[in-house]
Amino acid sequence: MNYFPDEVIEHIFDFISSHKDRNSISLVSKSWHKIERCSRKRVFIGNCYAINPERLIQRFPSLRSLTLKGKPHFADFNLVPHEWGGFVHPWIVALAKARVGLEELRLKRMVVSDESLELLSRSFSSFKSLVLVSCEGFTTDGLASVAANCRHLRELDLQENEIDDHRGQWLNCFPESSTALTSLNFSCLKGETNLAALERLVARSPNLESLKVNRAVPLDALTRLMSCAPQLVDLGVGSYENEPDQESFMKLMAAIKKCTELRSLSGFSEVAPLCLTAFYPICQNLTSLNLSYAAEIQGNHLIRFIQFCKRLQRLWILDSIGDKGLEVVASTCKELQELRVFPSDLHDEEDNDTAVTEIGLVAISAGCPKLHSILYFCKQMTNAALITVAKNCPNFIRFRLCILEPNKPDHTTSQSLDEGFGAIVQACKGLRRLSVSGLLTDKVFLYIGMYAEQLEMLSIAFAGDTDKGMLYVLNGCKKMRKLEIRDSPFGNAALLADVDKYRTMRSLWMSSCEVTLGGCKRLARNAPWLNVEIINENENNDVMERNEEDEREKVDRLYLYRTVVGARKDAPPCVTIL
Amino acid sequence: MENSNSYSPYSSSSVDSTKPSPSESSVNLSLSLTFPSTSSQRETSQDWPPIKPRLRDTLKSLRLRQRGYNTALFVKVYMEGVPIGRKLDLSTFSGYKSLLENLSHMFDTSVISGGTRDRKHHVLTYQDKDGDWMMVGDIPWDMFLETVRRLKITRPERC
Repeated sequence: MNYFPDEVIEHIFDFISSHKDRNSISLVSKSWHKIERCSRKRVFIGNCYAINPERLIQRFPSLRSLTLKGKPHFADFNLVPHEWGGFVHPWIVALAKARVGLEELRLKRMVVSDESLELLSRSFSSFKSLVLVSCEGFTTDGLASVAANCRHLRELDLQENEIDDHRGQWLNCFPESSTALTSLNFSCLKGETNLAALERLVARSPNLESLKVNRAVPLDALTRLMSCAPQLVDLGVGSYENEPDQESFMKLMAAIKKCTELRSLSGFSEVAPLCLTAFYPICQNLTSLNLSYAAEIQGNHLIRFIQFCKRLQRLWILDSIGDKGLEVVASTCKELQELRVFPSDLHDEEDNDTAVTEIGLVAISAGCPKLHSILYFCKQMTNAALITVAKNCPNFIRFRLCILEPNKPDHTTSQSLDEGFGAIVQACKGLRRLSVSGLLTDKVFLYIGMYAEQLEMLSIAFAGDTDKGMLYVLNGCKKMRKLEIRDSPFGNAALLADVDKYRTMRSLWMSSCEVTLGGCKRLARNAPWLNVEIINENENNDVMERNEEDEREKVDRLYLYRTVVGARKDAPPCVTIL
Repeated sequence: MENSNSYSPYSSSSVDSTKPSPSESSVNLSLSLTFPSTSSQRETSQDWPPIKPRLRDTLKSLRLRQRGYNTALFVKVYMEGVPIGRKLDLSTFSGYKSLLENLSHMFDTSVISGGTRDRKHHVLTYQDKDGDWMMVGDIPWDMFLETVRRLKITRPERC
């Protein structure tokens, strides 16, 4: 029995927005479950195959905003075949059929077709926001449908998608009456852009706060865009190989000066260093700076710019900034919360000592008290450095270290990095995400299992000695949700030890490990509520028809996840669901 | 650690036939390119270090430019019977499928490569660096990019 009428409870629930909290509320009682589900507007589905659209709609009839994720994380690194799955089409069909009042759709690693986008654009009259991250399967024709038909579109955000550019006129398809845009990001498009259409669109969008253009928008066009949108808060710049002439440069700088609200800057792929200096007038206002594509800009130019960015909270940069550069960041950016340092030299071709090392990482940890998230690619690391970092920054929520050479030990002691990572997990009690690298034995996993109580996502590559390593993690980390492992010697014993553990996790990925087909089959038999997927090298291999001897054959890629709707029916030939 | 692909002047992997096609396309792709990627191939170029494709491509392009390679690859494309040709930057395509789709769109017809030929579809051919005219689609995409000089969309009976 509730003390308050349902409407009052519903009103109270309105203040609860976090998915976790709302999920908890729905478990309190039948009545709360009903009130919660009928009033729920935003739903997050971390694995699109864990549930189907029909059940989603049945449970949440008032759905307005849906987030869906498809392919597993390692798909970002070419480990998952393109045709694996994650099709959004059935979702859009079902939502349209049920006349859900969809307003927002956010997709990550899903396959989206032009047909899906067309259907989307015609089915939801209040549709406002489309965010596509790392998706593929569509072309600019699909974008044209969205532009043309979504009358109330406010946000079109395309991040890192593979889009076939038909060099069409999709920007022209926004009707003249479309003036509600607040965010437009098409930085991942590879083809030409209709500049006139873009300028007209920006000019008639007074609420536009975020604009990220693609490479094909030249400097003079950018200047004009900024001139008619001085209210911009977030800007993604195109590419400018040649240094601008004096006049163009002055015009650009003048336009930039007027953008007093500008807080976030990105883009800059193939940009001559001089273009960066045009942004000096506003750099002290910046809270977010992404120069991770600016491979042409050398360390000293980066440093000169960053030394004025005192308010920076988020910095994404290439390792060409060097340890010296990171020391400048450490002394300048006292508000820094998130740092990502990406590699600029993939094959160790440059004989350069200018890339970052453990020294830069330690400097950052010492200088930036608010740092809580880091992704750091480097060529070398030491236990001593990691121990110091752990002492300096006990507040890490995300700690991802990637040493470029697999199995590389501490370069001063030649020992494994177990102690270093051990110090991190012991000190950072709130750690939720961790990626480990370098030479690591089972011991590091003992530490992780013992100390990483809040850990939800763990990425392991080229690490560990025996099944014990994986077992320490599975037994110890109570909050584990996503575990992804590659090229590590974990096998059936670890996989099968505690099948029920997978009920509490979203998914497990294992590639180039020691698990065998037999082990996977056994797991699938014992856990019918799991989809156990085997991804094969060769498309035409029917795994089920193999004989007993093949049971001992190692599985190249295993992806398993809990689901309430059983085996999916859209798997391609290279995927076998046991 | 390196295989021949990592010094190829052009980015993109050699396996691409498997992308789902936009349903609007009228391309009949009677082409099956399956180059099972062996572990060693995967390890050396495309899946380590763990960075996203856009960064990988950016860095590859940078290296090539620093070495003096031109990363754009413009070739002339003619449709048989049409005197005025087009120019196309092949480096913007991820593979054969994407190229054929684009050509079909550009010339407003159905363009295929290799496979079973019928009266309905135009066939794409290319002139390689030896000057010979060949059917598009037989060799891996990366290799194709290195050897292609121009493209011709021919009438089906000619092949």
